[in-house]
Amino acid sequence: MTTVARHKSPDSRRGAPGARRARSGAGNRSRPAAGEPRRIGWLYVLPALLVYGTFLLWPLARGAQFSLYEWDGLGPATWAGISNYTSTWSDPVLRGAFGHLLVLVVFYSALPCCIAFLLVAAMSRTRVRGLAFFRTVLFLPQVVAMVAVAVAWRWVYSADGPINTVLGWLHALGLPDWSRGWLGDFTFALPAVGLIGTWVGIGLALVLFLAGVQKIPPELYEAARIDGAGPVREFLTVTLPALRRELAVALTLTTIMAIRNFDLIYMATGGGPGDSTKVPAYEVYNRTFNTGEVGLGCAIGITLAVLAFAATAGIGRLVEGRDR
Amino acid sequence: MSGGQAMSTRRERLVNHAILGVFAVIALFPMIGVVAQALQLPDLSFAAFGTAWREGRFGTYMRNSVIVTVITVLVATVLSIMAGYALGTMRFRGASAVFLLFLAGLTIPTETIVVPLYFDLRTVGLDNTYAGLILPQIAMSVAFGTFWMRAYFRSVPRSLMEASRLDGASSWGTLWRVLVPMGRPAIVTMIVLTTMWTWNEFLLPLVIINSDEGLRTAPLGLSFFQGTHKTDYSLLMAGALIIAAPIVTVYVFLQRQFIAGMLSGAIKE
Amino acid sequence: MTTLKRRGVIAAAAVLATALATACAPGSSNDRPEAKAPSAVSTDVAKAGNVTLTVWDQEVQGGLREQIEKLNAQFQAKYPNVKINRVSRSFSDLQKTLRLALSGDDPPDVVEANQGYAAMAQFVKAGMLLPLDGYDSVYGWKKRYPKGLMDLNSVTKDGKLIGSGNLYGVSLNGEIVGLYYNKEKLSKLGLQPPKTWAEFDQALATAKSKGEVPIAFGNLEKLPAMQLYGVLQDGFVGKESVRKLVFGSGGAWTDPQNVQAAQKLADWAKQGYLSKDANSVKWDDTPVNFAKGDGVFLFGGTWWAPDLNDRMKDKVGFMLPPPSQAGAPAATMGGESLPWAITSKSKHPDVAAAYINFITSPEAMDVSVETGNLPVLQAPSKQPSAALMKEVSAAWAVLSKNDGTTPYIDYATPTFTDAFGGPLQKLVAGQASAQEVMKAAQDDYAAFQKKK
Repeated sequence: MTTVARHKSPDSRRGAPGARRARSGAGNRSRPAAGEPRRIGWLYVLPALLVYGTFLLWPLARGAQFSLYEWDGLGPATWAGISNYTSTWSDPVLRGAFGHLLVLVVFYSALPCCIAFLLVAAMSRTRVRGLAFFRTVLFLPQVVAMVAVAVAWRWVYSADGPINTVLGWLHALGLPDWSRGWLGDFTFALPAVGLIGTWVGIGLALVLFLAGVQKIPPELYEAARIDGAGPVREFLTVTLPALRRELAVALTLTTIMAIRNFDLIYMATGGGPGDSTKVPAYEVYNRTFNTGEVGLGCAIGITLAVLAFAATAGIGRLVEGRDR
Repeated sequence: MSGGQAMSTRRERLVNHAILGVFAVIALFPMIGVVAQALQLPDLSFAAFGTAWREGRFGTYMRNSVIVTVITVLVATVLSIMAGYALGTMRFRGASAVFLLFLAGLTIPTETIVVPLYFDLRTVGLDNTYAGLILPQIAMSVAFGTFWMRAYFRSVPRSLMEASRLDGASSWGTLWRVLVPMGRPAIVTMIVLTTMWTWNEFLLPLVIINSDEGLRTAPLGLSFFQGTHKTDYSLLMAGALIIAAPIVTVYVFLQRQFIAGMLSGAIKE
Repeated sequence: MTTLKRRGVIAAAAVLATALATACAPGSSNDRPEAKAPSAVSTDVAKAGNVTLTVWDQEVQGGLREQIEKLNAQFQAKYPNVKINRVSRSFSDLQKTLRLALSGDDPPDVVEANQGYAAMAQFVKAGMLLPLDGYDSVYGWKKRYPKGLMDLNSVTKDGKLIGSGNLYGVSLNGEIVGLYYNKEKLSKLGLQPPKTWAEFDQALATAKSKGEVPIAFGNLEKLPAMQLYGVLQDGFVGKESVRKLVFGSGGAWTDPQNVQAAQKLADWAKQGYLSKDANSVKWDDTPVNFAKGDGVFLFGGTWWAPDLNDRMKDKVGFMLPPPSQAGAPAATMGGESLPWAITSKSKHPDVAAAYINFITSPEAMDVSVETGNLPVLQAPSKQPSAALMKEVSAAWAVLSKNDGTTPYIDYATPTFTDAFGGPLQKLVAGQASAQEVMKAAQDDYAAFQKKK
């Protein structure tokens, strides 16, 4: 789940003793310890590389291969060229699924970051009692298995769950009846799923921002306050610019969470009602194992990998921009 | 400080606490609901846990999850330490290529590899086995682990390794006797994270463990439990609690490592 | 030395590339197994040695579970050398996993493989199920069962036509989708069980006006709406046309009467005759809610009868969906429960066949009645005792006599539950018109017919 956000050139100032050997190759590579035999490095890397190659890179390559075939997973396969990839776009259900992913990115990524900013502001502007407690609690959703999260939220959203109960009280007070089966509603199922992602993502963004805020020199805040900046301006002129890097990381991690969204959809809605909460991650499974379109499933999978990679590479650049 | 300012600070503190309180409640609410229903409050009965444990066969599933998680994490840790050591402290041909290769693996979603993995594992008879669950998860963990350990080994002062070598230690000895004990915080963080990911993994077991019920992991067990006990919420909630409890417990005690991992795993480089 | 390394990297890359290039295209042409010659069949289970028979079923609810547990125990008592490893999961979980398991190397021996083009026909086409004709001539199943029921479990070897070809499974229970009603509520509303669709509509309107939920309906899984549609369709369209349509030998889902049926469903939804937010209510919660008093009527399969009987005792009644005119022969969806089939990779096909024969024997039909179920064949010595089960059994007898069952709609194509069920959810939510929904169904149907 964790990903790499930045590849700043590593700490190349260090390691003076080995400096004399550090001429060849890329300049920012680490210095070898003097006298260290070179080839032995391969022996250390080999076991990990072997497992990794066999059980991650090889399936990746095979997935790319499968994606070029039409195959029901049972009988023989026929060559299909790139038609599976064009289907991810021309099939309205799949196009919808990618559209839903886009919506979910807002809920999984943008919304948690906004909320986390609010919380960080609340935590850092004044002394807060029980800061550690709040941090622990707010981060907790991150560690609970998605499967269990889905079970909990299905109850929250259920017809006689707490949300509808509250709406029922409001109705009794004379407001319109807003209660509904949230996860079975064509309009609200997708946002409802999205809010679960928001709920999970807040803690991650918060923790990242908190760490970033602690690095901001207090003088900056003092200067801002002397200038008479209110909370909002203070946030815009001091906090936000200083947290760019953390923001990039948070956006990347949560976007990838949105892309890898199988567990929650499988458990909470199964893609329904209709196709309204189908997402690519779910369709990989659904197409492969339910409807027997293995090649198409693999093509969606490869597309997801490309998207995840693009998100990792792209968001950092976008948020940090001219920083480098 | 003037009185007015003190007032406004106090008011802001109040507002801040209110904001935090509201979101803390939101974060906890679904979980409290689960606990309340599992305990059949307000009656307070633990019967649902017993029934879920027996009928949902959570005993077996928890045991499987423990086996899979322990082996995966152990092996992945050792392999990651070794690979990270080499990539972080030694220079050899192809090192940067190998590193990039591992790096690429960090973003590959399980969804991408699970389908081909299933068909190939089936061909070699590894579906419905522990190995079929463990090996791919080692591969996924090693991608992160190598990246993570490399960062640690790079931060170790050269002089330390020099000294160790002058004492006559081999590179292997230096690694396990000097660097690993020193790097315990980094290693614990890695272990904590891979434990969580392995324990919570759902899609892989769903596909790989498709016929042998006795090999289901805890999250998979919960999913099927939901299928058969749709209408009995207290049982379902008890099941959810059972599978979430181990990681939540670890989190409560080792939250520093969890959070540190999330932070520096992403930022350090 | 460095060139050596470089060569190593290049070599590794080359190995990967060639391995991929030469790795065979995914999949292989599966041989479809032949039926075993009757003379080669061994019916003597006791001589088979120690055998563990892995059986996958979907009998997870009350009486159904009790029934299969009892039969398994009896079989193991009769043949102590056989151990049955029973694996049960809900209907939808079974659908999701069976395909995966069957294509593996070590599939279960006996499975309940659903009829239709979405399941059995595909498995047959891929050579995963064993033709049972050889066993049939030894055990005489075709003599035991009426032809219509055997046809439902028969497919041609290429998986293209259901209803002919080889026999691939035998069923244990009968099932039909009928109309449950809450007797207490009916009498409170001053109503009688409806005799025609018109009367039924009247009853729904009355129930609605008195603040009751006319029809308990949960449609989270998409399948329930397909069953409800099927029942309505049987009211508008002749049974022969429905059979032809589902099995792919004529007709279109966009035919006017089929659209009319969808329109009826849309009208009901619009008039508020169905449970609120039906699309978010789980199928299995529906009878539970109905028993609690949510709903005057409930369309549902006879598989719910044991459970409803337990929950409601004599407050619940069962009848066939009313015909369009009083006294006309009724037709509804149904047939037989999921057939028990043998996988082609099973190492003990003879024992598996003996097991299937055992659990579909006349004695098994008695067990079915004892455990409160509806046996597919007349039980030789047992009669249902509960009032509800008597009604269910009577309805089944009527339908069997006038050949009134039509196949489940989801048999039609492998993707029909999504392609038709999804739009039907929209219809129920009032977000799609009957025409749109039936067009979606027809598109999927036509695409499958073309590919087949």
